[in-house]
Amino acid sequence: MRPLTPRRILGVSLALVGVLFIECVISLRLGAYPISITDILKTLYYGVVGHWDNVPDEYRSVIFGIRLPRIALGILVGSSLSTAGAGFQALLRNPLADPYVLGVSSGAALGAIVSLIFAPHVVGAIQIAAFVGAAATVAVVYFLGRRGGQLDTATLLLAGIVAASFLSAAIMFLMTTLSGRDLRGMAFWLMGDLQTPPPIQNVPAWFAFLFTIFLVAAGAIYTTASDLNLILTGEQEARHLGVNVNRVKLVVYVAASILTGLAVSVSGAIGYVGLLVPHAMRFLFGTDYRLLIPTSIVGGAIAIVLADTLARTIAAPTELPVGAMTALAGAPVFIYLMRRRVR
Amino acid sequence: MNAETHGAGAGADTFTAYSHPPAVRLKAEQVSYAYSATDRTAPKFTLGPVSLEAHQRELVAILGPNASGKSTLLKLLAGLLKPLSGRIEIDGEDVSAMDLRTRAQRIALVAQESEMLFPLRVWEYVLQGRYPYGRRLRFETAEDCLMAGNALAQVGADALRDRWMDQLSGGEKQRVILARAMAQQPSLLLLDEPTQHLDIGGKVELLRRLRRLADENRYTVIVVTHELNLAAEFSDRIALMHRGKCLSIGSPDEVYQPELLEQVFEAPLEVEMRSTGRPRVLLRGRE
Amino acid sequence: MAVAGCCLLWAAVPVFAFVADAGQQSAASASARATKIFTDDSGVNVAVPVNVQRIVSLAPNLTETVYALGLEDKLVADTSYCDTPPAAKDKPHVGGPGNPSLEAIVGMHPDVVLATAMTTREAVDALRKLGVAVYYTEPHTVRAMLDTTQKIADVAGAQEKGAELVARLQARLDAVHSRLSERPLEHVLFVVWEDPLIVSGQNTFVADALKWAGGESAILASQDWPQISMEEVLRVQPDYIVLTPAHTETNNAKVAEELQARPVWRELRAVKLGRIALVNEEFIRPSPGLVGSIENLARQLHPEVFGAAPAPGSSSAPASTSGALLGATGECAACGR
Repeated sequence: MRPLTPRRILGVSLALVGVLFIECVISLRLGAYPISITDILKTLYYGVVGHWDNVPDEYRSVIFGIRLPRIALGILVGSSLSTAGAGFQALLRNPLADPYVLGVSSGAALGAIVSLIFAPHVVGAIQIAAFVGAAATVAVVYFLGRRGGQLDTATLLLAGIVAASFLSAAIMFLMTTLSGRDLRGMAFWLMGDLQTPPPIQNVPAWFAFLFTIFLVAAGAIYTTASDLNLILTGEQEARHLGVNVNRVKLVVYVAASILTGLAVSVSGAIGYVGLLVPHAMRFLFGTDYRLLIPTSIVGGAIAIVLADTLARTIAAPTELPVGAMTALAGAPVFIYLMRRRVR
Repeated sequence: MNAETHGAGAGADTFTAYSHPPAVRLKAEQVSYAYSATDRTAPKFTLGPVSLEAHQRELVAILGPNASGKSTLLKLLAGLLKPLSGRIEIDGEDVSAMDLRTRAQRIALVAQESEMLFPLRVWEYVLQGRYPYGRRLRFETAEDCLMAGNALAQVGADALRDRWMDQLSGGEKQRVILARAMAQQPSLLLLDEPTQHLDIGGKVELLRRLRRLADENRYTVIVVTHELNLAAEFSDRIALMHRGKCLSIGSPDEVYQPELLEQVFEAPLEVEMRSTGRPRVLLRGRE
Repeated sequence: MAVAGCCLLWAAVPVFAFVADAGQQSAASASARATKIFTDDSGVNVAVPVNVQRIVSLAPNLTETVYALGLEDKLVADTSYCDTPPAAKDKPHVGGPGNPSLEAIVGMHPDVVLATAMTTREAVDALRKLGVAVYYTEPHTVRAMLDTTQKIADVAGAQEKGAELVARLQARLDAVHSRLSERPLEHVLFVVWEDPLIVSGQNTFVADALKWAGGESAILASQDWPQISMEEVLRVQPDYIVLTPAHTETNNAKVAEELQARPVWRELRAVKLGRIALVNEEFIRPSPGLVGSIENLARQLHPEVFGAAPAPGSSSAPASTSGALLGATGECAACGR
């Protein structure tokens, strides 16, 4: 009997963080603009200490202006999506659940389209409108998904599917009214795009803001990790063991929806990550949520940074959408995992 | 009821004789419940009022046909439902006033089946029974592992420790589920129709185990069942339920009156008293 | 615990972002060349160096304009879609027009980047944030296209070449216009895509070019590019059907034959009478080659004014009219392909 200890969690997490770090370094090296590793390290070093004169303008632009923000956003989005996916899989008692199954991404997309129609030139309007759309969808699905005043799993799933379908229809209708340019922009957004610049001038404040939201939501889900382990063996049984099932469901629902809304608002709907990373982490490290959540956080970051790096280097200088990469890689991985489980 | 004062002779191998009356563990006083389809329609079903007592080391069977209110009564005793009137106490404390964790430390409701969404090992599953002890986000201590190990040993499932839950047979799984309930270290073990999916060998094995747990480990066990003969064989007291009312509570031979049984179960039954002092119910054949 | 570890990692993110921001601000102020401010079509004031040496084009029509202005030596990169003139294909590419590679553009050290609506807003914003001068153009009419040509010439420091080219193009357009001034506009179905049937509406660039060629869209719809059903076409019975390069045939007669064999299409009066016009992709592109394409379409829509209509791929036009149409220099930027 080897129960899970904080040491093991820390050990596995740090190992994964190490992998992520190496991946980031490699990703910083790759790109249409050639810079050697030594130049990268020099640029990073001089940048951090503030000696900008030692660094060519373009290195600065490429590393700090293009690649680093993209990697940082990728980490944030990947972590958010896979944590949300793990949460939804427990909440909905369904291994096929992904963060978008409850319609959050459709709500965000609708918000984005509406902002394109009414305020196309306002900087940051898309992100805000997308988040508002996501939040509204979460609220509506919550009220639809209740039964007897509490969140009921089956009802919630149905409510989410209905909401997603309805919103998709609205989106399709509105897309016919978009101009050519907005249509193209919308298409890229829907496929997932890590290049969207921050809506406010102050980039560090923007990232700090996103990071805070992520931490709060992911932390909230983590506090229910033990509860989720129990709920996965049966809701009634969990109640008998003293779990406040209704409260846990509400917390996970809200937190996972916030994470999804956050990810989708800043980068569009990147698929497969929220579904597959938790499964891959379960396969590697076990199904205990106290370990699964940290591994999903880092695993999601690793997955998206990998996908994004491939997206911008495989067919350089053409930039492929990140969502296409995750789908291309995701489908075979999914099939492999399915076959292993069938055993 | 004390086994020694039982008139029909002590079946010494199945009962432990004790000299002083055991403590009252569970006390339900005039408990009633009702539910209806909506708030405004008349109640579809009413239960009670029912009064019931169970002592340490006692195995009580709640017996009755379908829809007699057995499961509802059990849920009330477990604290899952709040009674409309009356009071349920365990070790002197009001069950409905307890918070979830305390209740889980006192009462274990044993599930029939367990659906595994993701693969889980037996020891992980049993360890989950320690959840009521400690903070919400917690890591199992050595004591937890000890308790879980004991629980597995008590149900004879120690060898199953490292197996995957979804690879167990029905009987093995049930033992493990029971072990998890026991890892909670409850005073009261509640089971709702645990013998449903088992063959006769499994049924007997389970009830023997429950009997041993009551005798040797001082549990109070309450079993909801409709198996007349098993209840008669293994329980100390029986509460006979019919259409939401408790018609009779007492030892098996007191409760198994042929006319009463026939009325409740609506079947031609006759009762035979055996030498052990326990009744046996038979189907009255054609004359 | 693990949570603390993750916190530490994520704390690194804003640190880097902080540094990134500082980096960008310095980059913007480092360039100290003399600049001039131009206001582009999106209302943004773009600071372009006075002596432009390196231009990056993010759209085929812009590339074509640059070549037409004779500035191709200053064009250091274009997109993978830029194929007019053929030499443009040999220039280094920065990706597609929609989502070009920011790194590749930065690596070209451009003095100015020319962009159109084909490039996503995000890409344009990101480039501007990196300190790159992006001049955005979005002409909605033929005249606006001429203005854009002049503006691009101004931005590139080649005003005189711009004025020359614009004057020539304007003269040709005026020539066509004068010949058609007495004629009523032909009602035209301008087919952008056949399946599903997408046509040009009223307010598009194409609609304006159509007017110059003596036609107008027969479809009245609120959308710019409405998707309609054949029923509407049957109801409206346009005088001419104009097909765009989605069609592979280049011979009017053959295309007419093929349509006459198609169900529903063959019920159209225009098909029965063989009134099919073909235009190449220049027609939907706001660039100097558009003028030649307009002339071509005008010939097909109004054959009685211009004489026998040649096939759109041929470079020979009836001698009596071609001189006046092609202008003094006999130059035709786009026809003859």
